[in-house]
Amino acid sequence: MPSPLLLERPGRWSQGAAAVLLLLVALPAAPLLWSALSSLGELGSSDSGVFVGRAFAVALLNSAVVALLVAALSLLLGLPAGVCLALYNFPGRRVLFALLVFPLLVPSFLWAIGWSSLSAHVGPAISGVSGCVIAFTSPAVALSLLASYAATQALTASQVDSARIAGGERTVIAQACRHAAIPTLLAASLAGVLTLQDPGPGQILGLKTAASEILTSFSALFDFALAGRQCAALTLLVLVITVPLACFSAPRIAHQILARQTGKPRPHTHRGVASLAALGIGLMVLISVFLPLLGLTLPTLRAPEFLRAWQRALERALEEVARTGTDTLVYAAGAAVISVTLSLLLVLSVGRDPRLRIAVVAACFILFSLPSALSALGILQIAAEAPAWADPLLRSPIAVCGALGLRFFPVATLLSLRAWGSTSSSWTMAAAVHGVSAGKYVWKVILPVLLPSLVVSALLVSLLATADVGTVLLLHPPGRSSLPLAIFTVMANARESLVATLCLLYAAIAVGLLIAAETVLRRKAT
Amino acid sequence: MRTRGNLIAGVPALLPALLACFLTGCSGSGRDGAVVVYTSVDDVFARPIARRFTEDTGIEVRLVPDTEETKSTGLLNRLIAEKNRPVADVFWSGDPVRAAVLKRKGILAPHHPQQAKDLPKHFSDPDGYWTGFSARARVLIYNRTLVPQAEEPKSVMDLLDSRFQGKACIANPLFGTTSMHAAALFAVLGEEKARAFFERFAANEGKVLSSNGEVRRRVAAGEFAVGITDTDDANVARLDGKPIGVVFPDVGGIGTLIIPNCVVMIAGGPNADAARHFIDYLLRPETEKALAECDAAQIPVRRGVPTPTSMIPLEKLDPMEVDYDALAPILEELSEGYLKKWVDRNR
Repeated sequence: MPSPLLLERPGRWSQGAAAVLLLLVALPAAPLLWSALSSLGELGSSDSGVFVGRAFAVALLNSAVVALLVAALSLLLGLPAGVCLALYNFPGRRVLFALLVFPLLVPSFLWAIGWSSLSAHVGPAISGVSGCVIAFTSPAVALSLLASYAATQALTASQVDSARIAGGERTVIAQACRHAAIPTLLAASLAGVLTLQDPGPGQILGLKTAASEILTSFSALFDFALAGRQCAALTLLVLVITVPLACFSAPRIAHQILARQTGKPRPHTHRGVASLAALGIGLMVLISVFLPLLGLTLPTLRAPEFLRAWQRALERALEEVARTGTDTLVYAAGAAVISVTLSLLLVLSVGRDPRLRIAVVAACFILFSLPSALSALGILQIAAEAPAWADPLLRSPIAVCGALGLRFFPVATLLSLRAWGSTSSSWTMAAAVHGVSAGKYVWKVILPVLLPSLVVSALLVSLLATADVGTVLLLHPPGRSSLPLAIFTVMANARESLVATLCLLYAAIAVGLLIAAETVLRRKAT
Repeated sequence: MRTRGNLIAGVPALLPALLACFLTGCSGSGRDGAVVVYTSVDDVFARPIARRFTEDTGIEVRLVPDTEETKSTGLLNRLIAEKNRPVADVFWSGDPVRAAVLKRKGILAPHHPQQAKDLPKHFSDPDGYWTGFSARARVLIYNRTLVPQAEEPKSVMDLLDSRFQGKACIANPLFGTTSMHAAALFAVLGEEKARAFFERFAANEGKVLSSNGEVRRRVAAGEFAVGITDTDDANVARLDGKPIGVVFPDVGGIGTLIIPNCVVMIAGGPNADAARHFIDYLLRPETEKALAECDAAQIPVRRGVPTPTSMIPLEKLDPMEVDYDALAPILEELSEGYLKKWVDRNR
């Protein structure tokens, strides 16, 4: 009967287990990268165009420019917004906060469709690099804002009060921004990196991007080696950005996600600063959320015979939701179960080992940054070469859930690591003294404590997995599409009003699920 | 803690439900009587037909559409890759050339449906490997606010005119009906003139967009003055109230390219009986009527199927004379040769 102390002083097995789990996450990419590497010798040319295709080289450059601009914009907007939301109280603060974070919960191509539709109806053309930057900025700002908000919340009330006494509100804001700058920079960089793997906005707004080029050239040639080389090129670009960032920030994050008992700063009511913050954040919400949503309503509002058009579009949209709803939920739930289970195992392996914790945080950051097509195409390649008996695993929803679960496992791990930090080693000691087995201790004590965080992880992974179109596009079995993929498939050919109504329905469902989840969690907590 | 404990206890109860969902999914690709249909016809137009088939016959249709950017070519390559262990039973193609390519590669099984007897012979394969029905046409669309009606383009060659410098667009010619159009131009004009067309298009700063849908959208938005797309895309723009004009090009010249739908049976597909049922159903006059009356506005090719008044019937068009079967090798060669390089240079 293993003792619970195993979790506190885990020994070498924990490093081994952590390594195995992290390798498991990276494993689906292996065959594709192997194809890429083994094909290099056959090419025999130093021209990069031969290795990845000239069109891809141009697309990679476009993607890099977009990623850089998006990261810069999200840092510029997200940092002060997060700091102000954490430090100041003003009417509608919670609503504005929720609205600014909302873009993270729906696929980025929905925002691109909104902007495209808005420009088609009322404004100048929004396309190309500028269009993609605009479309990607909404979710990117949300990510930076969350990081900035969380970092500011990590300040103690006494630190904020001291700054206020020393130099007034200007000093408070300056010091808070300084404190939150590194995590926000990290989040902004991650947001930039995530744009590199997203094919949606580029396809809608007429910009060749690396992610869409991988999908397109793979479809054109069904060449795993070329797709592998393209993914490898994109991965190299991503690693150049993320490895230094991960090395630099992992110790800090590993430290910051530890729970501590300090008085959090309470939002301050300062009429001047609060008004300015409310105005600025309100303007951000208007531009990043309401304008694209307005764009999604215009096709129906301005359609000939508005009411009939709206009714027809809604009927068709509801049919699509009914058709794809079950599979969307299966993929979301499957991904959540897989990622949360793996993250829990990893967290139990890591325990309280500070060095291992830093290594895992760095690995999670890097793994999350890798192109999603890498794993999806890897699984597709394995499925193509595997015998028929493997089909129920590799050509079924299990493959989709697995790929999505592994993709978002780093997110669940970071949240679980933080929750594990809130447990006390004295509980383990007490359990060991009373002769409780490790299994019973985990089941009866640790899991109930971690449960709220695991539920939040599961919800977040579900939403992120639902929004991922590329993986589902490559791996879904016949007739088992998800709702975002259905929108992605019809967006180029269907009537504008149908596409817009589908997007609005998706947004409404995401908001509804979030409100329901928050209500349930709040009730359970009380 | 008690509530959390109850929640924990509820987790194992969820697992069988999830397992059931997975297992239901596992049956998705096997021999279970459902028919797996790959289709390069736009999802919004193909799905209602598939749904009606299920309602009428009780046979489930698992439709696999492709995205606009990888139109036809994506599914074609997937079918070739799956040749030894097919997943699809039927390929409902938006054009006959892909079907001809598949025939050349030995991926199709012949089928001689009774329903095809009154369909025009030149839209089908004489050996029964592919059967054509409802058609689309390649058309020029122009933005009416940018191009007065008197100056509307009449021929695809007008895209090379200096008045459209930097204002003309086409979809990526490696995909979809644009690739078939390119192959047809090579067949009709000859290699030299066709190559000159593409080179002059690029020299005139014409743009290559990702899809016909994007051509429609960006011409309608006024970002481009003129482009080439299909009649279904043009019709959707018209229904959306966009300021576009539609021209059937090259009347009296090389003619307008007519592109019939095409349905084929995959050799060794897991559900051959259901596949035959689906093909027979698809080739009924009712399908042509439905495709003509929906937003796709596809032109019926069978005599006796009424053409809606908003459409031009097939007899009144001046069709480009092409042998669809002969376009297959041209398309294959172009996709891996000249056109691939041209796209790499100009996209």
